[in-house]
Amino acid sequence: MREQLTIRDFSTVEGQLTTVEEKDLPAQRLDLAFMPWKPYTEEQKKSFACLLDEVNVLNIPVPKSQAEEENLVNRFLTGMRKLFTTDNNFTCLPMLETSMDNCVQCNSCSSACHLFEMSGENEIYRPNYRSEIFRRIYKQYIKKEPFARWRYGDLGLNWKTVARLGELAYRCNLCRRCAQTCPIGVDNGLIAREIRKLFSQELGIAPKELHEKGTVLQSRVGSSTAMTPQVVKDNVEFIDEDYSEITGIEVHTPFDVKGADILLLHNAGEIIAWPENVAAFSLIFQEAGLSWTLSSKCAGYDGVNYGVFYDDAQLARIALMHMQAAKELGVKKIVIGECGHAHKALTVVADRVIPYELQTPRESCYVTLRDIVMSGRLKLNPSRNDFPVTLHDPCNIVRLMGIVSPQREILHKIAPKFREMPCHGVDNYCCGGGSGFAIMSRNNIEEWRGNISGRKKMWQIGEAFKDCLGPETKKYICAPCSNCKGQIRELLAHNDLYEKNSFAYGGLVELIVNCMENVNPGFIKWGEE
Amino acid sequence: MTTIFYLLAYLSFAAFLILCVSKIRGYCAASPLHVRWEIYPVPHEGKKAAYGGSFMENSDWWLKGRHVEHIYDILGIFKEVLLLEATFKHNHKLWFRTYPFHLGMYLLMGGTILLFLTVIAGLLGASPLWNPKEMGGFVTFMHNVLNAVVLLGAFCIFGGGISLILRRMHDKGLAVYTSREHYLNIGAFVLFALMTLAAWAFNADYIQVAAIFVHSLLTFSCEPLNNVLFELSMFLGFFVMIWIPLSNMQHLLLKYFMYHDIRWNDVPTPASEKNQQLIPELLKKQVTWAAPHIAGDGTPKTWLDVAVNPDNGLKK
Repeated sequence: MREQLTIRDFSTVEGQLTTVEEKDLPAQRLDLAFMPWKPYTEEQKKSFACLLDEVNVLNIPVPKSQAEEENLVNRFLTGMRKLFTTDNNFTCLPMLETSMDNCVQCNSCSSACHLFEMSGENEIYRPNYRSEIFRRIYKQYIKKEPFARWRYGDLGLNWKTVARLGELAYRCNLCRRCAQTCPIGVDNGLIAREIRKLFSQELGIAPKELHEKGTVLQSRVGSSTAMTPQVVKDNVEFIDEDYSEITGIEVHTPFDVKGADILLLHNAGEIIAWPENVAAFSLIFQEAGLSWTLSSKCAGYDGVNYGVFYDDAQLARIALMHMQAAKELGVKKIVIGECGHAHKALTVVADRVIPYELQTPRESCYVTLRDIVMSGRLKLNPSRNDFPVTLHDPCNIVRLMGIVSPQREILHKIAPKFREMPCHGVDNYCCGGGSGFAIMSRNNIEEWRGNISGRKKMWQIGEAFKDCLGPETKKYICAPCSNCKGQIRELLAHNDLYEKNSFAYGGLVELIVNCMENVNPGFIKWGEE
Repeated sequence: MTTIFYLLAYLSFAAFLILCVSKIRGYCAASPLHVRWEIYPVPHEGKKAAYGGSFMENSDWWLKGRHVEHIYDILGIFKEVLLLEATFKHNHKLWFRTYPFHLGMYLLMGGTILLFLTVIAGLLGASPLWNPKEMGGFVTFMHNVLNAVVLLGAFCIFGGGISLILRRMHDKGLAVYTSREHYLNIGAFVLFALMTLAAWAFNADYIQVAAIFVHSLLTFSCEPLNNVLFELSMFLGFFVMIWIPLSNMQHLLLKYFMYHDIRWNDVPTPASEKNQQLIPELLKKQVTWAAPHIAGDGTPKTWLDVAVNPDNGLKK
């Protein structure tokens, strides 16, 4: 591997372009173990383009002939041309074009990126590296600027460039922290997503977890978890039974109540992986006396919309299904549960994609919960939460929607030992599972999340609890987002931090229920409890 | 030769205007309505902007009317443009090099506007800046101010520009991304500043020469300047003027849109009847993406067809 990669190396270097070794990784306050990369097998190298680093998200087949190589490049260029037309890309064209034409390469974005920092400043993870390659292709082959080759340097576009670029689009959490710091307004996160779009919408290449097992499955059966409406209703009924016993309060989750005020839209992953979250919502809404319901209509019970990570058509389809579920029930608003990307997809992005008459207003659950907690409708005893608590800010809800204060108002009211992480609020860092990584587990993706993308979050957590690290003090990481919880769960488990540091993690609602006076004590569990 | 010089001045100014207008029109034509892509903090949120909050922190916000304090957007962009605030916050080392460079440009641009205004005032009856024998009162003051502005502006561009070039050459990270065009862009400004400094230093009265030039431009009199250094600096100025909208320096124009129309554009559809009407129109646009889940059976489709028929992509 080369010491300092150049732009041209992206097209010319044979084999794997770069690697990240344990010695490259910055030191941490928490004891984080390096997860060794599993080497590619010869079969993998022969079949798929293993050309970037140790990770392979897209599994792009290796072309078998020069004609196939050329075909891949030509289809890529065709897609790129479409990306720069209003008809095919009215959703994002102004942002894309300005990000192509106005970057002055000051690299202010680099220090904002947790991937660049935590990979030991590996060049390919610099936010601008991917963007600049895409930009040079655009200027030379799409826009055909005069003297482009002389002005910007000849990239030497070939199939390796295309395959690597597609793969590199999946080394970004789309947290847009880099865009926030850009003095001009260039958005490297957007560029990464546009490249993903090009690959999905033109070449039909997307990670199977996002496409086949994600949006396609959700469109067909109702959820990316594969749960059908009947399975969801059965599972929620079980959750109600279990948590009625655990909490000492009869919990009933309503389904398909026509004319209810609120349609609560969970990430269906919660029903499988974190039933306590679903139960806590039901309990709080019930005890607060809200008029609310879940939907059992196809996709109406799963707020997930992976289209927001890679494909506009899939995004629109899923968003439309969510809106239709709300319209059929005639609710006044959709309250989105603890899922960051569902918040942004349905509230912000779909806002200018779905015709207005088909829309139902959307509200963040943080806001609804804040109103409930502050209204005094629940009898709360904050002394039950007498342990250090810190808050993770999901990028999609905080930096990209500006919902910063409600969750803090709740925590200040119910968690006497609440403390902020360094770089909190709109300056937060991604958990490392953002943009779909949290649901992928193959080809060293878990290792990449553990070694690189999740490392900055672990630094923040370590700093937030630096006065009480160790197993003696129980500590709670409040991560009110399904994907973020999945990522934090894995990092804690892999590094044995439940035991070493008495960490527990969960959402906001679990903390609220934990301090409800009429609920049996001990809703939140630590370690072996 | 004099006529050609003046002709070039008119042409370069016209080209600059046409290119600027076409860039802005191109931006506006790219999409009548793009998706919301805001990043917080958004200044027009007023008090909430201090911590990055938005209207979406309020329950039932769509029922409560939209309260936007645009004055903070204006203050925000002024602070960003005049002080390069984001660079100061996130790239401190670069700020100390790029700020003088930008400040120099602002000084020369401001100086040029002042020069034109003072000459126009002379044409309307005030004492003439282009004739030192008749100059007096406030115009003398303007003459001295302009002298200082040109000197300081050219020094800032020269010093900042050299410093930026050196950083691009020696910073390992920046060097990877620095192309010939970067050197051309900054180099052209440095050369322009150098020639301006030379013209200023080797002329008894630089401002008088500049005033004669502007007076001739405004009156179409094409008076000969007989000043090689000034004319050389102006040739470089003409080139830079045309080059700005053709290169990444066009951010001078588009930064406004990148902030106001993208980063801070949070207008929700319930609050905009115009947007409510635009969405169905945009969904009528033809889609030609080739992936099977969009192209389906190959029949022509609009975005509406694609969105309302999820089965398109599901049937193998």
